[in-house]
Parts: sequence; C-alpha cells; structure tokens
Amino acid sequence: MIAGGIPLGDVLLASGALFVIGLVGALLRRNAISIFLSIELMMNAANLTVLGYAASLQNLEGQVVVFFVIAIAAAEAAVGLAIFIALFRHTETIDVNRINLLKW
Amino acid sequence: MAALTATRLVFDAAATLAIVFASVMVIHRHPVKSVLALVVSFFALSIAYVLLSAPLIAAVQVIVYAGAILVLFLFVLMLLNVPEEARHGSGRPIHRILSAAAILVFAVFLLSLLRSHGATASPAVGASAGGGADVAAAARLLFSEHLLSFEALSVLLLAALVGAFALARPETQR
Repeated sequence: MIAGGIPLGDVLLASGALFVIGLVGALLRRNAISIFLSIELMMNAANLTVLGYAASLQNLEGQVVVFFVIAIAAAEAAVGLAIFIALFRHTETIDVNRINLLKW
Repeated sequence: MAALTATRLVFDAAATLAIVFASVMVIHRHPVKSVLALVVSFFALSIAYVLLSAPLIAAVQVIVYAGAILVLFLFVLMLLNVPEEARHGSGRPIHRILSAAAILVFAVFLLSLLRSHGATASPAVGASAGGGADVAAAARLLFSEHLLSFEALSVLLLAALVGAFALARPETQR
C-alpha cells in the first residue's frame, strides 16, 4: 500500500500494460517515428515502475533517477529525430521496410 | 482485496486513460494523431505521478515530455510530411510472433498478480509529507548528492544539441 491507499500491484499492472503496448507498437509499426514513439512509451512505463517503488519504499532516490531518465530521453529524442531527418533527406522515406541498406 | 480509497480510484482512472490512449497511439496509422494520443497518455501519467507523491516528476513530465519532446516529434512529422501507413503488410512474421509472445507474457503476469492478490500484501507505508516538502527534499537530494551527475547531464544535453545540429545539417554545406 502506497501513500493514499494505492496498492503497488496497481502501479505494476499499469506499467506492465503500457510497456507491452509500447513493445507491440515498436514491433508492428512500420514508420520509424511511430517506432520511436513506442520506445518513448516503454521508457515511461519503466519510469512509472521506478516511481511506484520509490513511493512504496519512501525513497526519493527513485525520483532523482526518473529525472535523469527524462533528461536523457530529451537528448535521445533530439539526436534520433535528427537522424530521421538525415535519413529522409537521403532515402526520401522513413518506412523501415524500405530502409534496408544494412540488412543482411 | 485492498480497500477502494478515493486516491486509488483516481490513480486507476488515470492509469486506464493512459493505457487507452497508448493503445490509440499504437493502433492509429496516422503519425500525427499517434503523437497527439501519446500527449494525452503522458498527461494521464503525470496525474499518476502526482498520486505517487512525485509532484516534481509530474511537472517535468508535462513540461519536458508532453511539452517539448512530443512537440519536437510533431515538428519533425510536419517537416517530413510523413504519409499514413499502408493498411497491409504491417510487420514481418517474426515481429507478429514476438508481439504475441509479449502479450502472452503480460497475460501470465496479470493472472499471477490476480491470484496472489490479498495473499501477499504490499508493504504498507504511511502517507508521506505534503507535496511542497517532497519537492524540496527531492531538490536537495538532486543538488547535493547528485550534483555531479546533474552537471554532467547539462554537458550531455549540449553534446546532443551539437550532434543533432551536425546530423540534420544538409550535406552540401560541408
């Protein structure tokens, strides 16, 4: 039971559901930006788990870790989107089925 | 079965909203609508963060994630004019098998959680101090014990900025 009567099970369930939705999206979507969005969703599911345990254990370190994860996600999004722009300029598409230069 | 308190109800509602809009994000084939659905999902998640006594992270979630990162996605989508995905040919067979396996694993997790519900009570803790005290304590931790990591983070963001600029620059200017 976390502060206010939220069971840890609810938090884990929500975060597991979000993670699976993100995983399915990352596997099934064909658009590189949609795959990237799904990865962001999975990262948020992980953040939710960390915050749930931080609240359950009454430890503020979890919040600090999530703060760093969000900042790193911002850096990752900037670089990833720049890669997509460069890719689009090069191949005129960001459909991952048609980007097969490094595929064996 | 745990008691249904008002906080739990609000948390469950926010989590359900987040899950529903995350599903919309995955199902929708138009990338711009996907991003907008994810914005709603992240707002719902920030409500959940407030209830988990992390108001600082909730604010950062709204400002940085929903406000900055997803708007950046929208800008790039509109810049590239990404078309809607084709209806057929979504995923190679291996991808479908793997996503089915992921859903299966989650279903097993759900069942085991439902079976063990009530048997193993989560550690009960008292309500934490008010939101303001939480923010102050988290900030003190961030700027004392993790000060070096915080400063390293600013260098990382600068490196990402330079890297993004170098990557997205047209090749003719080199």
